[in-house]
Amino acid sequence: MPETGSGLLDRYDASGWYDEAFDSDGAVRGVYRRIVERFGELDADEIKRLEKLVADEFRRQGITFTVYSEEEGTERIWPMDLFPRLIAAAEWDELARGLSQRVAALNCFLADLYNGGAAAVADGVVPRWLVMSSQGFERNARGIAVPHSAHCNVAGIDVVRDADGRYRVLEDNLRSPSGISYVVENRAAMAKACSWLFYDHAVQPTEQYGQMLRSTLESMAPGGEHDPHIVVLTPGIFNSAYFEHAFLARSMGVELVEGRDLVVDGHRVYTRTIEGLVKVDVIYRRIDDDFLDPVAFRPDSTLGVPGLLGALRAGTVTVCNALGNGVVDDKGVYPYVPELIRYYLGAEPIIDNVATYMMWDPDQRREALGRLDELVAKPVGESGGYGVLIGPHATEPELDEARATIEAEPRNWIVQELVQLSTLPSIADDRLEPRHLDLRPFILTGERTQVFPGGLTRVAMRRGSLIVNSSQGGGSKDTWVLAPETP
Amino acid sequence: MILARHAEALLWTGRYLERAETTSRCLNYAANSITHLRGDEARAEGELMVRTLGLQDELEAVGPLESQPQLVAFLLSDTDNPGSVVSAVVAVRENLRSVRDRIPIELWEEANGLYLRFPFLGHANAAPAGLHEVLLMVRRACLAIAGILNEGMRRDEGHAFVVVGRMLERSIFTVGLLEASHSDARGVMDATRMLRLTSSLQAYHRQHGNAPDADGVRRYLLHAPDLPRSVLSCLGRAEEGLTGLGANSAALDRARRKAALLRARLELGEVEEAMASDPVATLQDFAAQLAGLASDVHAGIVPPLAMATVQAQYVRPGHASGPGRAGGLGHAGGPGRAGGLGHAGGYEDEPGRAGGPDHAGVPGHSGKKVP
Repeated sequence: MPETGSGLLDRYDASGWYDEAFDSDGAVRGVYRRIVERFGELDADEIKRLEKLVADEFRRQGITFTVYSEEEGTERIWPMDLFPRLIAAAEWDELARGLSQRVAALNCFLADLYNGGAAAVADGVVPRWLVMSSQGFERNARGIAVPHSAHCNVAGIDVVRDADGRYRVLEDNLRSPSGISYVVENRAAMAKACSWLFYDHAVQPTEQYGQMLRSTLESMAPGGEHDPHIVVLTPGIFNSAYFEHAFLARSMGVELVEGRDLVVDGHRVYTRTIEGLVKVDVIYRRIDDDFLDPVAFRPDSTLGVPGLLGALRAGTVTVCNALGNGVVDDKGVYPYVPELIRYYLGAEPIIDNVATYMMWDPDQRREALGRLDELVAKPVGESGGYGVLIGPHATEPELDEARATIEAEPRNWIVQELVQLSTLPSIADDRLEPRHLDLRPFILTGERTQVFPGGLTRVAMRRGSLIVNSSQGGGSKDTWVLAPETP
Repeated sequence: MILARHAEALLWTGRYLERAETTSRCLNYAANSITHLRGDEARAEGELMVRTLGLQDELEAVGPLESQPQLVAFLLSDTDNPGSVVSAVVAVRENLRSVRDRIPIELWEEANGLYLRFPFLGHANAAPAGLHEVLLMVRRACLAIAGILNEGMRRDEGHAFVVVGRMLERSIFTVGLLEASHSDARGVMDATRMLRLTSSLQAYHRQHGNAPDADGVRRYLLHAPDLPRSVLSCLGRAEEGLTGLGANSAALDRARRKAALLRARLELGEVEEAMASDPVATLQDFAAQLAGLASDVHAGIVPPLAMATVQAQYVRPGHASGPGRAGGLGHAGGPGRAGGLGHAGGYEDEPGRAGGPDHAGVPGHSGKKVP
């Protein structure tokens, strides 16, 4: 393995996985050459100093997230690893094409379900019973007009690299994917603490997200309204992603509102201001469907706006993302996405799924449960890594319990081949060790589709761990998409 | 255009910011002056300070202060006392957090940084320091926040509400201080102390020499047009802030008028004349008028439920007290208010008004904004 002056990378051993910085012979991959050199110049004390600099910066700015599983919902400082992830321009272009393709097909599917003839269901591409039994399928959304048929304006598609380094989609998030604020703040923190790292690279910037999102939302105004009144709807300061909600409103230059700031009158939505009521055209909501309108959905919710569904039906306001996107976040629909791409776009998927067994198919179930100790079982309705069983890390009683649960409720589970996520050097005490990671790029769709360069790289903090979720102890990395090389 | 909820949060930000700074200043003075006093004197001293800060009710809940550490705990770190320094710091942070998208980043960072320096709030990295250092740190942070407000924030409605909040809080404190000076049987609230507690000693010396007399100082703290903590100056700035909110926010008309009325009474010498005969009642009444003004500002921004409600908040023509009715000064006022400033008009019986919210007076009475 590589020898460096300070010894940070000595004993670096990523054998058994695809390491993005080093090939199987231990040689540095081209794109990481300068970064590895730079880190080789650092010693453990300097690393500690830089880590403290970054943590202090995040603490000062209050860049935190809330962990609900802990008592009283603790606010934690956002964890970022200093060793960045690099993606070469050509590699990114291919990935971005694949992401655009996937989101385009999913938008077609949602438009078909909610405003079309549900052709994919009628043609048997996705079983009707599966869609109709999805908790995320929202019958109330049927017939609500959506400009440009863009049901998903902001998508976060989780991708991983397998043992061969190929990108694969692990999960689709088309409801309220979060994490973009951390992408931008990670970059800002890296630029402050490690500006010298950037010197050798042309890195695509990240601070334009607010403009991209705003132009996307502007294009979603009902009736093509010029200069529409846009608001960001948050559940409030106690929500784990409140920091992100405030970030989005500030970076777009629009108001951050709570449900109690909005009122519906005559099928129109207004903000309550000191000068009276002001009409709203576009709501970028960061609360779930169930909480949007207590009249139509959960009557006990105080987060939403009574009458909002009526305003949506009247077409006086657009809610982004649209109602009912949860049906494609249902992991039961995930195995059908490649087929949906072929069906709607007539093209082969650019990024494959991870091989998935559908538990409602008796043959697939039998096969998967027979070797569950090698596979990963996921509940279809969960996110954030909750409820996931990783076969090789589970005990025999845990496996038995999972088998029984799956046999009892096959609709609620999928089982996937275990992907040995790729690794990158990450700081562990006084040296760099391989840690597994994934990537959540963000895809914006309004009048047109744009893929935001990079995305949120999440990294498992423990050696060998495949759990990258921040709610479960994962960290993050700044993600650099390199600009195309000038000839 | 500002959301009503944001306006409310910024108003309270202003009030709590002022309170954090004022309480720190007063506590620093009290902690120093109390050290050489005997037990009963020290207790009386502490109670005078609590009264000056308008926290009698909060003190009643915890019982009498027997020692200097108790006074310090009550005014500095008691999170059950909404008027303590820590409660005020928390409230500033929480209110700013809820408007984080519309304030300068530096403003949030400064308020968050101040909050993070209190280790008992669950965050590490606070350097242990003596009381004086802690209070100095709070005052400096408050001044830094005020500086960012002045220099880094757009002069929009949000800025106006912070200013109005600060000026209301400040004028309420100054009037409370003057009242305490008259009610103080032991005579310790002397001229120099009043000036120190309002950071006005140096200014007074320059203008009026270094032998201040109590009555002269009271006039100074009420009337000095160029003193940032005089009641007249505060009312002027509050009125300016309310006026800057524009004609569209008609629900604030009443507060604008009341601020102008109170200012006029000071300018015309009516308050001073009334104080000559019954200073305590006059000041108590003036304090009540200021609390009413705070209540009116709040009522003017509370989220209107619908257009109809907004309309109902217009004051009916001819109903408000015009100049002719504004008097009441010096006359034997209503029941139990002899010689007070009188009534500011028949607002209280106006239909559709939910009366003064109970946190109209000192923020210490508002549990609402304190988590």
